[in-house]
Amino acid sequence: MSVIKNNRGEPLPAKEKSLKNIILGFFGSVRLAVAVLTFIALVSILGTIIKQNAPPDEYLSLYSQTSLKIISLFGLDDVFHAPWFIGAIVLFVINLLVCTYNRFFSYFRAEKKVRLPEEKALMSLHMCFKLNLEREKDAIAIIKKRFRRILYQGEDGVVLERAPYAKYGVLLIHGSIFIILIGSLIGLLWGYKGFIVLHRGEVKDMMVVRGRAPKEIPLGFALKCRDFNVSFYPNGAPRDYVSRLEVIEKDRVILEKDVRVNSPLSHKGMHIYQSSYGASPTFVFRVDGEPVSLREQDSHEDDGFIMIAMRFEKAIHDFGPGVQVAFLDNGEPRTTWFLRDIPRMRQRDLGGKKVVLEDIKEDLWTGLEVSYDPGIPFVWTGFGLMMLGLYINFFVVPGKIFLRRLPDSIIVAGVGSRHIDRFGEIFEKIKGNLYDTDAS
Amino acid sequence: MTLMHHKILGLVTALYLAIFFLHILYFAIKKEVLVRSIWIFLYITLALHTGGIIFRWVDSYRVGMGHAPLSNFYESLIFFSWCITFMLVLMKKRLSYPVITLFASLISLIWIGYASISPGVDKNIQPLIPALQSNWLHIHVITCFISYAAFVVSFICGLLYFFNMAWTGSPSRSTLEEINYKSVMVGFPMLTAGILTGAVWAHYAWGSYWSWDPKETWSLITWIIYALFLHARFVKGWRGKKIAIISIIGFFSVIFTYFGVNFILSGLHSYAT
Repeated sequence: MSVIKNNRGEPLPAKEKSLKNIILGFFGSVRLAVAVLTFIALVSILGTIIKQNAPPDEYLSLYSQTSLKIISLFGLDDVFHAPWFIGAIVLFVINLLVCTYNRFFSYFRAEKKVRLPEEKALMSLHMCFKLNLEREKDAIAIIKKRFRRILYQGEDGVVLERAPYAKYGVLLIHGSIFIILIGSLIGLLWGYKGFIVLHRGEVKDMMVVRGRAPKEIPLGFALKCRDFNVSFYPNGAPRDYVSRLEVIEKDRVILEKDVRVNSPLSHKGMHIYQSSYGASPTFVFRVDGEPVSLREQDSHEDDGFIMIAMRFEKAIHDFGPGVQVAFLDNGEPRTTWFLRDIPRMRQRDLGGKKVVLEDIKEDLWTGLEVSYDPGIPFVWTGFGLMMLGLYINFFVVPGKIFLRRLPDSIIVAGVGSRHIDRFGEIFEKIKGNLYDTDAS
Repeated sequence: MTLMHHKILGLVTALYLAIFFLHILYFAIKKEVLVRSIWIFLYITLALHTGGIIFRWVDSYRVGMGHAPLSNFYESLIFFSWCITFMLVLMKKRLSYPVITLFASLISLIWIGYASISPGVDKNIQPLIPALQSNWLHIHVITCFISYAAFVVSFICGLLYFFNMAWTGSPSRSTLEEINYKSVMVGFPMLTAGILTGAVWAHYAWGSYWSWDPKETWSLITWIIYALFLHARFVKGWRGKKIAIISIIGFFSVIFTYFGVNFILSGLHSYAT
């Protein structure tokens, strides 16, 4: 009846109780598995209740002094990366491996020579029936359709088996968890994540990696945003946002793709995702008649003259959009505002130069998430194996059929090792088939 | 705008109510003919419920949004209750006990009733936001809710284990246990498939197959509970009360994964509210 075989049922001989066996026994015990899994489940709850990875001021407003002390002491603001959480997962992996080791070897030990039981033993089985001697060939033919593997063949009878691989289902499920965790470890060690902000027409070959101190690292190729479009539903919800991207290597466009949510671009193991978008202003100035375009925080230098577009405001009181500009007036830093819609406020003399704000254009930019994760193939393999293992474990019905020749008749008996009820149905079907053809 | 599917689903809600009263009537007068009529009603309700979902799908094309009705809280409630009834009909041979069909159809009634009565649930067909525009949506939602429905059955068996309901023709304790673990054997692989398809989808949509989002974390907690259920039963050989308690705890975890995360915790899955 058991889906997972009971290994604890076989007591070890006294002399085998060495240190090795005690350690294997402890780390491979189901008791440990239950304890570790329960622990992981319980602290995961904490990880969903307590705000994770938020900035410090948010914690100050959410929690009292005492609870904040407890949170920071145990790292509860980042449960899933806390040392004790990782430790629990490591313990779980050890448990899984030792458990698998114990089971795997018990399979080989259990792989004994198959014998055909005596008549008495077979007749005492729950599933058994008798047939006429001349029906033997039919019986074997019908049974063989569902029990393909011949375990034993002799003068006294046959032993047939179905789905002998079924016992590896559990092994496959447990192994797949290990493979998935290996994949995620590879991702943690060698993978990274970053983001790129591209305006229409802009080309970049660096991405920003988030963290305590954000840094720029090379992408390995250049990325150009040829176009970016957003569309909306009538109710104002976003319908679609699409960046038309070009991958450029050695001045040649080697790949072009419309990147949208759910449809990332992949190149050299890098995945580039559509993640956000926004608008940023470009200020079009004329400095002594010369056109100068600046974005926020950009500066313009010319022969000792320097001006910086400091800050953009969409609406300054009721006067429309404006930009704060910093400049040097005889070596003294100063700031002033330019307002686009007020003619009087569009022109100014800055350090002897005539500066005119011609226009403020709003440029759309696309926010792209970049991820590199070499663990993905392992994770996907693990997922596949886990589904296969679950299928084998829960839906494949293994079992054996014994057919013994007696002087006046044959006995057919069945033994299922799991999913007994479904094995019984199969057995009944075979029995039915044989009796049906008998009657005809 | 009243659309066809609203009328059908309204009728379906009334039918679930009728099924509830048929059960009450059965417990009062104990006529076998009532059990047969309960099942006829269940078949009709399932057919109309299926029709209602299909009509909502068709209607979504008529209002120019065109997507499977699996995308918001209202639609998920309707689909959840459909899955429970589907599970009943699928496992009729095993589940044909009035006390089980009573609780299962009652939970269906609560879900669909809540969906149609609560003012907090938006019944309109909403456009599909970019994050949900993927074929993974269908397989992910279907596997998850089939597993939830299987866990509903497991919960009912766990609950009935603690009450002596012999007078209702309730199955024996050993039968309850049998049904309980059979439904976990359907629910667990389905939940696994739901989590894994969700992870693959998250990789394509969010750039990361696992981000400890509250919904993800709670589905993992639920998965661990049912993994413990299977190990407790098959490795440790637990039976009876202990197993029944695990299936009740597991169901609360399912409910929290489904409702609690949406209402109490915020995260990436917040469109499901």
